[in-house]
Amino acid sequence: MDIFTASLWGITGAAFIAALVKDKQKTFNSIKMARGMMKNMIGEIVGILFLIGLILTFIPPEVIKNILGESNLFISTVISALVGSITLIPAFVAFPLVGSFVDAGASIVPAVAFLTTLTMVGIVTFPLEKQEFGLKFAAIRNALSFVFALIIALTMGVIM
Amino acid sequence: MIEIIKKNKLLTAVSLAYVFLFMAMPDKAYLSVKNSMYYIIEMLEIMPVIFILTSIIEAWVPKEVIINGFGEKAGIKGIIFSFLLGSFSAGPIYAAFPICKMLLKKGASIANVVIILSAWAVIKVPMLANEAKFLGPNFMGLRWILTVMSILIISYLMTVFVKKEDIPIGEEKSLSKATGIDIKEQYCIGCGLCEKLMPQHFKVIDKKAKWKESTLNDTQINELKAIIDKCPVKAIDFR
Ligand code: SF4
Repeated sequence: MDIFTASLWGITGAAFIAALVKDKQKTFNSIKMARGMMKNMIGEIVGILFLIGLILTFIPPEVIKNILGESNLFISTVISALVGSITLIPAFVAFPLVGSFVDAGASIVPAVAFLTTLTMVGIVTFPLEKQEFGLKFAAIRNALSFVFALIIALTMGVIM
Repeated sequence: MIEIIKKNKLLTAVSLAYVFLFMAMPDKAYLSVKNSMYYIIEMLEIMPVIFILTSIIEAWVPKEVIINGFGEKAGIKGIIFSFLLGSFSAGPIYAAFPICKMLLKKGASIANVVIILSAWAVIKVPMLANEAKFLGPNFMGLRWILTVMSILIISYLMTVFVKKEDIPIGEEKSLSKATGIDIKEQYCIGCGLCEKLMPQHFKVIDKKAKWKESTLNDTQINELKAIIDKCPVKAIDFR
């Protein structure tokens, strides 16, 4: 376990004990709620983790580097952003997936674009958003979020 | 059984691929498991942390206080409140829709609602831990800073393009005319709170709350008003 994870455990553990001391019942209730949320996701988590193994075995790193690497950065970034906009997987499982691609040699620029549109832009939830806030709001918010996802991604690429 | 498969399409597909692989190319299958192992271990290391963080935030961040004090907040304070509310909430972005709608009705500005929605989507404290784990703390930190800046710009641009009149805000119905209750099924998370508080009016069936038809008198309408506020995803409203 690296230092980062260990310190997270430390902080979380301390907060947890403090919460228990303050109000046991309330804390246990919220744990029950969080457990329900986890239960809904566990199938997807396990599925993605084993899918990563398949990807790493059958897609050689050179291919990943070629497609998502530095060479055709702009196109791969736009496509990643588009894929992120239409998929609806919890961000929770997206991080290990994206991490495995980056470990295999993918550039971080498309990775960031994907992660950002995945959560901020929702094509699947668009009808719901339109119904609640009107077409103009939903359309402009999603469009702006898409554009800024690209900007964030390209800026990250320049800085890192 | 079919239910389970339907609910876990991805897991089913991946399992089938592995079964097939173990029969056809066992060495490739072993390699795949080995490749997954690193990520599985990492996930196991971080999952309890995320789980407990989510629970603690859910229990101890006074979301009701934030939401209720919203109407008056403007300027910098409103912006900070919006970021906090979004960052400390659980659930996917569409879970934020009814809450934001309610805040709009209460007088929150479009800019702040956009901040809540966006922060709700991308900035989640437990998720930041997860991101740092798999992509590194530097990556997470930089993306966080850039995202916060972008959200501020987006929220400003939105106020330029979208005015409050563009948003369909249901008429605030006069309560004496309320004839019943509407439950938005797509938002209800089946937490059972409404049933627990008013079993005579609500019943949760298949994880969705249902309204038991009945006529309403004034006391009941007042009681129902309290429940409408209590529903964690604001799925209940008068009809
Ligand atoms: S309180 Fe709201 S979310 Fe919970 S069961 Fe009732 S309607 Fe659904």
